[in-house]
Amino acid sequence: MKAIRSISVWLGLGMIPVVIGLALLLSPASLLGEPHNRTYRVLVLYWDNKDFPGNVKFDESFKAVLQQFQYSGNVEYYPEYMETTRFPGKSQNFLGDYLRQKYEGKPIDVVVASADLPLSFLLRNREEVFPKSPLVFVATNSPNVETLAADPGMTGLIHQSTHRETLALALRLHPNTTQVFVISGSPERDKRFETVARRELSAFTNQVEITYLTDLPLNELISQTASFPSNSIAMYVWQQAMDEQGKLLETFDVLARIAPTASVPIYGMGEGNFGEGLVGGYLQGADSNGAKLAEITLRILSGTRPQDIGVEGAPTLPRFDWRQLKRWDISENRLPRGSIIGFRQFTFWERYKWRILGIAALFFLQSLFIAVLLIERKRRQRANRSLDRLNAELEERIAARTAALKAKSRELETFAYSVAHDLKAPLRGIDGYSRLLLDDHAADLNAEGQYFLKTIQGSTIEMSQLIDDLLEYSRLERREFKPGRLELGPLITSVIEQKKREAEAADCDIDFVVSVNGGSIVADANGLIQSLKNYLDNAIKFTRKVPQPCIEIGSKENTKNVLVWVHDNGVGFDMKYHERIFNIFQRLDPGDEYPGTGVGLAIVRKSMERMGGRAWAESEPGRGATFYLEIPK
Amino acid sequence: MITGSGINMNNDLSPILLIEDRLTDLDLTRRAFERRRLLNPIHVARDGEQALAYIERWEAGERPPVFILLDLGLPKISGLEVLRQLKNHPKSCGIPVVVLTTSAEDRDIDEAYKLGCNSYIVKPVEFTKFIDVAAQIEIYWCLLNRTPRSV
Repeated sequence: MKAIRSISVWLGLGMIPVVIGLALLLSPASLLGEPHNRTYRVLVLYWDNKDFPGNVKFDESFKAVLQQFQYSGNVEYYPEYMETTRFPGKSQNFLGDYLRQKYEGKPIDVVVASADLPLSFLLRNREEVFPKSPLVFVATNSPNVETLAADPGMTGLIHQSTHRETLALALRLHPNTTQVFVISGSPERDKRFETVARRELSAFTNQVEITYLTDLPLNELISQTASFPSNSIAMYVWQQAMDEQGKLLETFDVLARIAPTASVPIYGMGEGNFGEGLVGGYLQGADSNGAKLAEITLRILSGTRPQDIGVEGAPTLPRFDWRQLKRWDISENRLPRGSIIGFRQFTFWERYKWRILGIAALFFLQSLFIAVLLIERKRRQRANRSLDRLNAELEERIAARTAALKAKSRELETFAYSVAHDLKAPLRGIDGYSRLLLDDHAADLNAEGQYFLKTIQGSTIEMSQLIDDLLEYSRLERREFKPGRLELGPLITSVIEQKKREAEAADCDIDFVVSVNGGSIVADANGLIQSLKNYLDNAIKFTRKVPQPCIEIGSKENTKNVLVWVHDNGVGFDMKYHERIFNIFQRLDPGDEYPGTGVGLAIVRKSMERMGGRAWAESEPGRGATFYLEIPK
Repeated sequence: MITGSGINMNNDLSPILLIEDRLTDLDLTRRAFERRRLLNPIHVARDGEQALAYIERWEAGERPPVFILLDLGLPKISGLEVLRQLKNHPKSCGIPVVVLTTSAEDRDIDEAYKLGCNSYIVKPVEFTKFIDVAAQIEIYWCLLNRTPRSV
């Protein structure tokens, strides 16, 4: 059904494509033998003038099928028109002479008679005009067997009456029908169409009431068809009539006048009336005849003898006008299998169904996509919210812990402060009174007593230094480091100047060599100064016993860091103790030889750690030592 | 270099106020001043309350000190609080206050200067250095420094 519908899409223009399809199936190509390089001539003799609609349709469908011929480029088509309507009653003998002279020297391969009149003309004049041409025809009555078999042979189609099939079909579609109006008429008022109809439809007389409306004037016909009772249908057979101006209206013109106002559906058999108001029927006519005759013609051109092609009934097919089906509300499902539906008008939906569906699908997919994205976003937002919540909780916990740590840190500060204050105060007492004892009561003490007192004083000062260093170390932990831009050169110089003065004051003759190549760095000034001082103190201390003490201070920078070093020519140390010297309270020498608390280098390392830098040393025993600071820029 | 006896014409016989809770420190300070032969009378406050009580006495007409030596770790009222009140009182705000304390904490130093102390000196442990400090204090605050007349 679907395939037929899609075929019928094209059928607004008639049956041509179907016929083309049929022609393809029965393609003569397979029947053809060797390549034909000669010219084929086909002549069609029409009964009426060239622009008669039936002739036009025949002509179109005939040519369309000829195009399918394998050597269509070699086929010449000659249409000839008898124009019997324009010149009625005239003897056509002159036409025979005309054709004979015209086609002398141009042998025709197949002559086609498109109707009864051309056929009878050809049968009469064949000997003279086309004595060697096979004949193909469509006619109401078949010639007798001898005529058919006579060389060069003939074959064709015989018109079939489809009155019965059409009425049976109409009654199936309208089962409640009680009355059928049969419309016919001709200018001659000879009732020949009514006669045929009566004969054909006699079998239905006990089934329905059949009323024959024959040779009614146009106005009468129009008014009658407009008021047919319900439960009736009309059969339009053939009706020519005069219009208001006395002009002859062809049968399809008349139908076009009555159909729009008709009160019941109109069925018919004539293909020429199709599209003018017929609901449908088993149609016959020029379209399908033309195509079929062309096929037969091609078979003959391909070498089949006409005698071998049997005379057939002209093709009839159930055909319907889609617009009329809609008008009378007839479902397509009820039509016979193989029905062809023409004049289909597509609704917007039908016309654009796939495009609409495609766009809708696209929309749907897009919506789906958007929905998925939205859901995803929602989920992410939810996740983010819970993440935020977690973060907030974490921050709260951190804040709480930080507060606890700060409290602890304050506690530690207070502790350190107390240690400083309370441990140092008694030391002052010890030192002060030992001093006073020595100063004011020296006479009461012997040498040993005085020595003891001096030892007490020395220990006190040592203790005091230890406390100071401890405080300094603990202050490093507690103090906030404030990085600022520092010019390395002036800073190093000022530290060295101070140490020089101290050395001079202590009668130490030390040679200081300075080579600073360092720009500015970002670091905590106090930490850096403290570190440099401690390195210098260390260097001074361990060069005390060498003959010509010399301390070199230098710096250089690369892209990331600034390196500062303090080199001395002092006693040096074994590198296996490297880590030990930077640890707090660790000393390599007995305290009385090189006095110290073992905190200075630990302070340097701690300071560097807090600045993100490094502190280390290189040395060999007896060869001096180099202490390095590396500070990020 | 000034090596005078500590007798200053302007502040002749004006007292020095020591605010110090530890007896040993008090005694050593006194002895250090004695070694410098500083003859100004020495007034003592052993805690914050006693220190602030002096303000009333100065208001009543008693002669205010030429300078005050203030320890920070004091019982009852802290040294910094005492400093704040001294510097906020019209009667005492002009008197130089030298903080003499064991603490070398930045926090204490910052706070003391914010509150208006005139000098901040960390007490040396060694007695000889302590005497040097006493001498410097005396030279500066008794001989060189001028205080407002209104005080």
